[in-house]
Order: sequence, then C-alpha cells, then structure tokens
Amino acid sequence: MKGLFILSGLGILAMLAEIFKFKKVLYPLVLIGIIVAYALGFTEWNANFNIPMFSNMIRFDNVALAFSGVILATSFFWFILANDYFEKDHITDHFALVLFALVGALMLTAFSNMTTLFLGIEILSIPMYVLAASRKRDLASNEAGFKYLIMGSFASGFLLFGIALIYGATGSFDLMAIRAYISHNGSELPAFFYAGVLLVLVAMLFKVSAAPFHFWAPDVYEGSPTVITALMSTIVKTAAFAAFMRLFLVTFGGVNETWGMILSVVIALSLVVSNITAAAQQSVKRMLAYSSISHAAFMLMAILANNRGMASVSAILYYSLAYSIGSIAAFTVVYHVSKEENGSSNLEAFNGLAKRHPLMAVCMTVAMLSLAGIPVTSGFFAKYFVFSLLIGTSFNWLIILAILTSAVGVYYYFKVIIAMYFKAPAKHDGITIDSSHAVLLLLTTLITIALGLVPNFVIEIFG
Amino acid sequence: MLGYTITQWLFGVLSLMAIMFALMVVFTRNPVNSVLYLVLTFFCIAGHYLLLNAQFLAVVHIVVYAGAIMVLFLFIIMLMNLNADTEPRKHIVTRVIAGCIGGVLLFVMVGALKGAEQLQLVQGGSSQIGLVKNLGKVLFTEFLFPFEIASILLLSALVGAIMIGKREKTVEEIGN
Repeated sequence: MKGLFILSGLGILAMLAEIFKFKKVLYPLVLIGIIVAYALGFTEWNANFNIPMFSNMIRFDNVALAFSGVILATSFFWFILANDYFEKDHITDHFALVLFALVGALMLTAFSNMTTLFLGIEILSIPMYVLAASRKRDLASNEAGFKYLIMGSFASGFLLFGIALIYGATGSFDLMAIRAYISHNGSELPAFFYAGVLLVLVAMLFKVSAAPFHFWAPDVYEGSPTVITALMSTIVKTAAFAAFMRLFLVTFGGVNETWGMILSVVIALSLVVSNITAAAQQSVKRMLAYSSISHAAFMLMAILANNRGMASVSAILYYSLAYSIGSIAAFTVVYHVSKEENGSSNLEAFNGLAKRHPLMAVCMTVAMLSLAGIPVTSGFFAKYFVFSLLIGTSFNWLIILAILTSAVGVYYYFKVIIAMYFKAPAKHDGITIDSSHAVLLLLTTLITIALGLVPNFVIEIFG
Repeated sequence: MLGYTITQWLFGVLSLMAIMFALMVVFTRNPVNSVLYLVLTFFCIAGHYLLLNAQFLAVVHIVVYAGAIMVLFLFIIMLMNLNADTEPRKHIVTRVIAGCIGGVLLFVMVGALKGAEQLQLVQGGSSQIGLVKNLGKVLFTEFLFPFEIASILLLSALVGAIMIGKREKTVEEIGN
C-alpha cells in the first residue's frame, strides 16, 4: 500500500524535476524510492492481512505483497538496464510514465473491486502505449505504439462490457460479493453472467497475449525500443498474471466449468502457435516475443489447475519471478548486441559473441537455458511446479503437449547459443558495456541459478 | 397505448434509434457522416440515462462526448482531409470472417440476455440516484480510492500526449 503511494509520489516528483531542474539526481532518487517501497512491503507482510482498505477497493494481502515484490525487484533491475534510455530527450516524461505504469502494475496485484481492476489496467496500459511509440523518428516504433493502442483499447472495451454484465447479474463490483453470489446461487446464475465472465476472460487473455489474441505482441515487441520491450515482457506480464489469478482463481473459481475448457484450448493453441512460429524467426527480439507467448501459456496452466489453492499461486509467483529475471538478462544482452549492429537483433548479430564479450555470452547462455527450462536453472523448476499441479487432473494431455512444444523451444533457444559459441564473428573488435550492466548481468544470472538451487524459498513463501 | 406505458414506448424508440444510428456509423463510407451519426447515437444514449433517473450523467454525457470529444474528432478529420471516401475496400475473405466472428458474438449476447427480463432486480434504483449530491457522496466515500487514483490515469495520459505531440528539435537546432 505504502509502495503504491511512494511510486505515485515519485512519478509526480519526476515531472517537477523538469521545472526545478534536478534532473541529474532523479535517477538515483527513483532507485532509492523503489528500494524503500520494497522495504516497506516487508513491514506490511502478515500485518494487515485481510484488512480491506478504502471500502474494500484494494487489499494488500500477502499474495499481493509477494507479487508487488516481484514487480518492484524486476523494476529495480530494469532501471539499471535502462540507464541509457533516460539520458536522451524527454528524460522526465519517460521517468513519469514508467513510474505511473508501475503504479498500475501494483494496483493489479492488489485490486479487490472491478473499478480498481479497470483503473489498474488502464494506468498500466496508457503509459505503455506511449512508451512503445517513444522512439518518435522510428516508423516501427510508431507502428508498435499505434497497434498497441488500438488493440489495447479494443480489449478494454471487452473488459468493460464483461464487468457491466457481471454487475448486472450480481449487483456489485466487489470481488468478495461476486464470489459470494456465485457460491450462493451456483446452479441458477443468469446466462448473461457467464457471458460477462467470458468477455472478461477474452480481455485478460489479450492483456497476457495468449493465442489467438496474440497478433499484436510480436509487432509491438519488435517495434518498441528494446528496453521498453523488456519492461513489457516482465513487469506488464507479471502484473497481468497477478490480476488474471485474482479474477479467475479466486473470484470466478466457482464457475470454472465455464472457462476451464476454453482456457485449456487457448493454452494448447498458444503452446503450438508460439513455439512453431518462434522456431522460424530470424530476429532474436521477435523470437523472445513468441517465447513470451509460450511462457504465458505455462502460467495459464497453473491457473487452469484451480483446485490446488495456494500451490497454484506460489507456482505462478515462482514462474513470473524466474521468467522476469531471465528476460531482464536476455534483453540486456539483446540491447547491447543490437546497439552494436545499428538496431538489428538478427541471429547473425550474435555470431561469435563468446569471443567478443565472454561475460555477455555466458549470461545469455544461462538466460536461454532458463527460458528453455533446462535443469539447475530456475526455468526448469518453474515448469516442473506447473506440471506437478496439473498431473492427475483431466488436463494430462496438456502436460504432454507442453513437453513436446518445450522440445521445439529448446531448438530455437539453442540456435542463439550455437551462434554465440560456434559461428565466426563478422567483426572481431570487442564490445564494451557499462560496469553497471556487467553487474546487472552477473546478478540476474546468479539469481537465476540460485532460484534453481533453492526453489523452496519462493514456493513456501505463503507458509 | 397497446398496453405499454410512456416510459416503455420511449425506451423502445430510443433503443431502436440508438441501434440504427450506431449501425450507420459503421456502414457510412464518409468519415464526417460517420462522426455525425456517432453524435446522434450519443444523444440517444443520453436519453436512456434520463430514463434511468441519471440526469447528471445525461448532461455530462452530452457536454463531454457529443460536445467536446466529437468536435475534436471532426476537427481532426477535416485537418487531415479525410472527408473523401478514402477507406480501401477489404478483401472479401476478411469481410466474411469478420462478419462470422461478429455474428457469433451477437448470437452469444442475444442468447445470454434472452429471458433476463424475468429476473429479480438485484439492486433497486431510487429516484434520487442521479442527483449530483448523491453522486458526489458516493464518489467521496465508497469510491474515494478509484476517484483519486483516476488522477494518475489522467496525468499519465496528459504526459504521454505531450511527449508524443511535442515537436522534436531538428538537427540544425541541436547543432546550434
């Protein structure tokens, strides 16, 4: 809760920096602010569990705090990665927009009312539309921002329509009241309530970019500046899943027959479409976009196993943490390689990276292994926990499909590793990177391995 | 009249007009006409708000949407000189698929809302509900948090619009 206020305040402070000319100290100030927000989260742990705030509009329970922790930690790493981004034009605007997006992300972890859900999604999305288009002279970036805006507004329309129908049936925006309504008259819910749930499902599937609502994702991910792509695939994704989980695992858990089968088809489609298309990509950035669709499918699998209670929640928490940290490492390397190659992130650009910058090659290898789900890295355990949730349910076939498509995933992740180690580089001069980025790479790589060694640290966080 | 009350007649006529104008927004090929039909649709919806005792909302709806936003819309269309029928025709396959998907959604909505008129009202409305006084009371008590956090939303939209819209320094200016 306090983190939310601190980030809002920082966002407003960032805009004042333009007027009162303290742009230089803004960057360290934001980093300190995020650390403080993170630390204050610890003081709230268990403290106000289940105490509704503001007439039950928002509820920072332990689940919300854990997901905010993931978001804040990732955003700290992201700000280190993005230090170049804040050295060009519109510094204060960029800071303000990113911080406001973080406010929206934190709201999505903790909402307990449909109005706060909608506001959270919009506060997260609108800065993202602008940031996607923030490289104004680049046509691809403009296209990305425009496409994201049009498609995102369309999805918001679906969300509002769904919320309206649910309100019509239950007479309340409150998640607890909706949940009570479902369990109270379970068998005789009006038909339009189900229609409302399905419309909300469509909107949320769009926000997490699951197939067949994924068409925007590759273009937007490729067109946006690389650091913004990193923000989208980590923080936006984590926040969207926290919201998805709160809605479908908790609130609509009672009507899972309605959305369960549809969700399983969506997951199967996402797994097949994303992995097969990713294998055919030449651009690593685009490949990571498709891989994010396949990771979304894995996290949806944990939501599908909705009778496992807190086990599902901690599996999603672990998955989003592992995926975010791995992605930050991968995007740091992609950022430097594409900067070297004048913006191109084609596979050839990675040729012989091991000779040009051994540290980046090692860290990229660990990140790729983690995203592919090879043991010892955290990515393996993330997938393992998801599978263990679904085993024994009627969705066993999804596990088999997921393992088969993961094998395809190994192929395209290893294409990058092979290019780095076994292909001759086009240029032989070394690449220099900031020392802060070198530290960031080392840190994210260590966390990826450490999370794989002691997964219980996260899995048993809810006791 | 025919067993219906005045309110029911008004509701029927307004709904029919709203749907008709909304369809015209989509089917007209001239963007200016399209916007004008959208204004008419907004007026019909404002009529619905009045029937629901939401007088304040109806007025705000007309002032903000039909007034401010639609005028902005028209300005942009005229500035960009879009008033000719410039929209390219989509391929027939695209149109058939889009029609099918839209039709399925319509089918679901009609099916879902069929029979809904027999349901008990979950929340009865009071005749005072649309007054500014009551609206303000709800906004500053129950909906205080969303009301305040909406300012962040507006602020980020504002910052974003300025960032996108601001003229970049040209190469010569940077050189100086």
